[in-house]
Amino acid sequence: MRQMIRRWAVAAALVLASATAVQADNQGLENPRSTDFHESLKGKKVVFVPLSMGFDLTEGWAAVMRQQAKRLDYSFEIRDPAWSTDAGTRALSQLITEKPDLIVLHNPDIQSYARLIKQAQSAGIKIVQINLESNSTSDSYVGADWTEIGEQAAQAVVDKCDTGKGVSTKIAIDTGVPTAASDVFQLNGIYRVLKQHPAIQVVSQQSTEYNAEKARAIMDTVLQQHPDLCGAIGIWDNQDTGTASAIQQAGKSNQVFLVTSGGGNKVGCENVDKGLFNLYISYNVPLQGEILNEEIARLLQSKSAAGEVKTMYFTPLTQITKANSNPRNCWTLDDLK
Amino acid sequence: MNDTLTRLRYRMFSDRMVGELLSKSWIDSAIPAFFLLIVVLAASLLTTDFWATGNLGDLGRQVAEFGLQGIGLTIVILSGGIDLSIGSAFALTVLVCLVSMNVLGLPVGVALLATLATGFACGLLNGILIGYLRLRAFITTLVTLVIYRAIYDILFPRLASAIVGNTPDSAIWDFVGFGTVLGIPVSFVIFALLAFLLHIGLSRLRPGWRLRAVGGARRSAHNAGINVKRTVCSAYVASGLLTAIAAFLFSARLGSTGADTGIGLEISVLTAVVLGGVSLGGGRGAVGNAIIGAVLVLILTNSLIRLALPGSVNQLLLGVVLILAVLFDAKWVKNRGKILNKLYVSPAYLSLAPRREANPDPYVLNDRLGATELIGLGEVEGPEDVILDEDDNLYTGTRHGTIERFWAPDYVRRETFAAVGGHPLGLNFDRDGNLLTCVGGMGVYKVAPDGTVAKVTDETNRSLLSIIDDSRLRLPDDLDVAPDGRIFFSEATIRYDMSEWATDALEGRGNGRLICHDPRSGTTRTVLRGLIFPNGITVCRDGQSLLFAETWACRINRYWFDGPKKGHREIFMDNLPGYPDNINRGSDGTFWVALLGMRTKTFDLAMRKPGFRRRMARQIASDEWLFPNINRGCVVHVSAEGAVLEVFWDRGGANHPSITSTCEHKGYLYMGGVSNNRVGRVKLEGADPTWTARSDYWEGR
Amino acid sequence: MVASEAILRRWRPRNLLRSQEGIVLLLALAAFILFSVLLPSFLSPGNLIALVRSVSILGVLALGMALVVIARGIDVSMIATMVVSVAWSFVLARDGYTFGLALAIGAGFAAVAGLSIGVLVAFGEVAPIFATLAAGSLIYGLGRTFFFQLEMQNVPPGQNWFAAIGQGSLFGIPLTIVAFGVLCLFFHLVLTRTRFGWVLYGMGSNPSTARTTGAPIRAMIMAQYIISALIAYLAGLILAASAAAINARLFNSTMIYDILLVVVLGGIGLNGGHGRVRNVILGTVFVGILLNGMTILNIDYTVQNLVKGIVLLLAIIADSVVNPRDEQTSQQGDL
Repeated sequence: MRQMIRRWAVAAALVLASATAVQADNQGLENPRSTDFHESLKGKKVVFVPLSMGFDLTEGWAAVMRQQAKRLDYSFEIRDPAWSTDAGTRALSQLITEKPDLIVLHNPDIQSYARLIKQAQSAGIKIVQINLESNSTSDSYVGADWTEIGEQAAQAVVDKCDTGKGVSTKIAIDTGVPTAASDVFQLNGIYRVLKQHPAIQVVSQQSTEYNAEKARAIMDTVLQQHPDLCGAIGIWDNQDTGTASAIQQAGKSNQVFLVTSGGGNKVGCENVDKGLFNLYISYNVPLQGEILNEEIARLLQSKSAAGEVKTMYFTPLTQITKANSNPRNCWTLDDLK
Repeated sequence: MNDTLTRLRYRMFSDRMVGELLSKSWIDSAIPAFFLLIVVLAASLLTTDFWATGNLGDLGRQVAEFGLQGIGLTIVILSGGIDLSIGSAFALTVLVCLVSMNVLGLPVGVALLATLATGFACGLLNGILIGYLRLRAFITTLVTLVIYRAIYDILFPRLASAIVGNTPDSAIWDFVGFGTVLGIPVSFVIFALLAFLLHIGLSRLRPGWRLRAVGGARRSAHNAGINVKRTVCSAYVASGLLTAIAAFLFSARLGSTGADTGIGLEISVLTAVVLGGVSLGGGRGAVGNAIIGAVLVLILTNSLIRLALPGSVNQLLLGVVLILAVLFDAKWVKNRGKILNKLYVSPAYLSLAPRREANPDPYVLNDRLGATELIGLGEVEGPEDVILDEDDNLYTGTRHGTIERFWAPDYVRRETFAAVGGHPLGLNFDRDGNLLTCVGGMGVYKVAPDGTVAKVTDETNRSLLSIIDDSRLRLPDDLDVAPDGRIFFSEATIRYDMSEWATDALEGRGNGRLICHDPRSGTTRTVLRGLIFPNGITVCRDGQSLLFAETWACRINRYWFDGPKKGHREIFMDNLPGYPDNINRGSDGTFWVALLGMRTKTFDLAMRKPGFRRRMARQIASDEWLFPNINRGCVVHVSAEGAVLEVFWDRGGANHPSITSTCEHKGYLYMGGVSNNRVGRVKLEGADPTWTARSDYWEGR
Repeated sequence: MVASEAILRRWRPRNLLRSQEGIVLLLALAAFILFSVLLPSFLSPGNLIALVRSVSILGVLALGMALVVIARGIDVSMIATMVVSVAWSFVLARDGYTFGLALAIGAGFAAVAGLSIGVLVAFGEVAPIFATLAAGSLIYGLGRTFFFQLEMQNVPPGQNWFAAIGQGSLFGIPLTIVAFGVLCLFFHLVLTRTRFGWVLYGMGSNPSTARTTGAPIRAMIMAQYIISALIAYLAGLILAASAAAINARLFNSTMIYDILLVVVLGGIGLNGGHGRVRNVILGTVFVGILLNGMTILNIDYTVQNLVKGIVLLLAIIADSVVNPRDEQTSQQGDL
């Protein structure tokens, strides 16, 4: 009998011991993938070469990229050419000698950086192009599909201004910088749609070089010449505030259907609310920023050489009208910081 | 105690360097160069791998393109104009180059020619408008800026895709763009070559001189016969060509161009050129300035980009730098002369022992020069030295640059023996009867008995440690000939010219030197340095030593230039009561010393207070400064051992208040003064009536 | 009767050809007539108003520039002052300051900027082209670094009256043109009826003599740059009101050269000492006619620039043929 009690006591003690032992073990397992992930990104160097800082698109992307850099512990720097292509090429040349791990590149036009991109890739630097592409492809492109934007914009205008639908079939187009990706590809998309609707008449197509005052002056004159203008397509909201203000001043905000596109900054949404823009195609800077972050992380981890595998992702577009301009579609810089 | 401290301070720390540095002609460029040095230092400290070959190679290529444009703009500014269209011309020439290479597929040489032709055309338009039609440069180049830019903006979008669609297949093209020669980028080599040639052209050849003349004083250049219109036109054409070459290098490097190529380029090149030290008024500047400025601006902007500062900070800093540079330039150019005048005079400490009157005092006033015979009264001005030849004719130099000869025996007839120039000071005959003279401001000259003037020497060896270029002679004063024909002469001061000798008195520092010219080898060498206004020189009868006076130190020294005591120097006569000028031999183995003026207690005290003199020089106008007394002088007859035998005064001061030189000849004493207008002659009682200097020097040898 | 005779004589065609101003006037009339005949929609009142409106801001800026140029200076920092001061006011207004206070602070900044430039030119004796060039860079850099981050600044919300001013009209004339007209009148009075204006002409004509006769040169230099800075601020406000936003990027554009072209085209020479408000109006209207006509023809903006440049070139060539530069009196350093 005593032996049995002793045996039971030992068993109970053993069970208790193993129970506590099991408690002590339950601190989980190290996740090798997480460790690898953080190790492979730690200490790397990422440099952003924008068109310029100081406007909503680049400030927004930079804010989002900075946050990930802080989170994943790699360095993030900006070389700001301040709208000068020459300074941008110099910055890029310098970077080729400095050899960072990855460059995020915003191209002022489709060929200024083309040669340098090739050089950088052969020097082993990975490149992600953002929103404005170059003729040289690189490891990755994240950004709007300008052709698609052009098609959407043209379609919206056609819907309002085709025969019998609007006050006339006249539309005006204002472009930005003739050799930038946003111009060449958007115009291609616009004309693809317009070719199918030969009734639409393009009465004016002039470049404003991203200057709002110039856009305003041009639209002003166009409205004088064609008081029955039905629609207008602008290629960027920053310059089209001028176009919109000219339309408003002529009192034709209800008549002229203005389509523009941009990053979806709150200011742009305000203009939609005020009735200055009738349709705003947003490529959603915070979303682009997040996708950019993902591409950066992927490329920094990847063992393949620079330029070996080239991918692209054209980000989704949101059409913002008065009906759906809400905080989800419209962002402020402070939100991203 | 105070005096000792002062003496030590002025011996150890000489203030002369600041003034001498400021008077250098390259000081204008030195300041930007110094600034460049600081920037390079800062850049290499702040940015990692500044000195890496990749970075330097990059910088080299940028300097090549930017620097060529800078030189082009410098050339235009030198001609008195300005070119604001260089940015647009650059864009246009880049376009032409790329079209030729990429689109048309032309060989490199043809593309280069096409580029140069475009640059030539752009420059020629400016040149014709500004040079020949005489439009204003600023507004004209502003208009051509707009025109060229518009042409570029029209053509570029149409050609853009064609340019980027093709890459030329040319090894030379790639070599120019990316190649290196011994590790140095090819474009930089090309640039360095061109810069060197242009520097030579601008500074040493006539086209450069004409350019500067037109830019510096257009009307005078026109009156001098320079073809102003053609010069101005060629300046703009040169700028256009240089822009074209820069564009060629740029195209080879980048292979493409953008919508904003060349925008704002004229501003940055202008900034670079002004920072480098080129004066916007025209006529002043050099290739070196352009290069310094270009490198400065490029390093600044590159470092700012590299430091990942936001672009706005770049603009801010560049704006600040430009403001400081132009502010400094404006103030410096305006005030440089004034500052230099203030800082140049650097007095030193000089202590003269108080005079102890001997008993009996040989310097007691008399009137032995009161009734002299006057020679050439009113006909000669500034007869500093007088000498007679073996025919008893009298020679003396005048401040008109001539040596006058008065015919014996009455010395009334006069003729100009030689026109030397300058102001002939010390006179002496050599063995062959040539008249040697020290000409103030020029050098040592020789006049043959028939009157032909020849230069003996006007330069000596340059001392390594002297900031002032002391290879040239500023104030050669007196000379004498050694038995073997060597000429020893004194240069009173290396810091001042003849017209400013009194400022040297104020300094009281040893600025003078003893120089020897050897006619056998034709070389001139400085023998002794740091002498306090060495003046009169005479070779002693032993033929191995000479006596020389140190005027402001009021003493006469003896220096052995030959023999066992060679190189030894000792004081012959110290603590003279006046300032010794010329020393000459007399009969019976004696010497004659002319005292230019007498010491005053005030001036002696002032010499012990260098701080006082410096303040005086800086705060008061120069015509109010303290001046050594040269109103009353005398002639001292000295024995071969340095004892005073007799002293001759002009008590009334009507004829010879101040005497700089004497000459004993056949029982008479002849004297002259540098501020006098007559030569005097007095009979010496008891002197040897057959004694001449010539017999004393050369007979019996 | 004598004065009016003199005035009438000046307007005779033969005499008109004698000055650049006259030539430009004739050219402007010729262009006007040409466009009215060839382009059907040119002569409509709406178009003419649009014409003047599109260049009225340029005209306001040209008034400020003209003042400085008459006194033998130049101010290429006007665009920088304009965008930075207005953008800063808008940022301050968004940050919570009352709109009036924000506007006042912006004006104060413009005045301080002008004062600094004036001090640099008057006391530092720096050539105005460089002082203002550097100052422009500095002001723009200052603004971008410290005052605002985004270059595009909308009119603050809730200030619709401000935007209404910019887009409103008075008796059918847009308020921007009215503002231009008022400023023209003001400047005309200052230049022709006040001692300040007369001394300004003296300074431009012969600075050393002006100083010798006791004119307060330094104070006047500072004053003129303060005025041009404040004019720039005003022009910026008008611009922002009419476009509902101010874009600091204007600094990078060639707008400053357009202003100079208007001033010089109108007949105010860069060597100072002469020029009137009517020159500015002439230059502005001429540029406006050209631009408007070309826009109607749907001519590309770049070709417009080319035409502008060629026209100006012809004007200054004509002027130099008619009034050749006198080698004897042209001064060294006259760029």
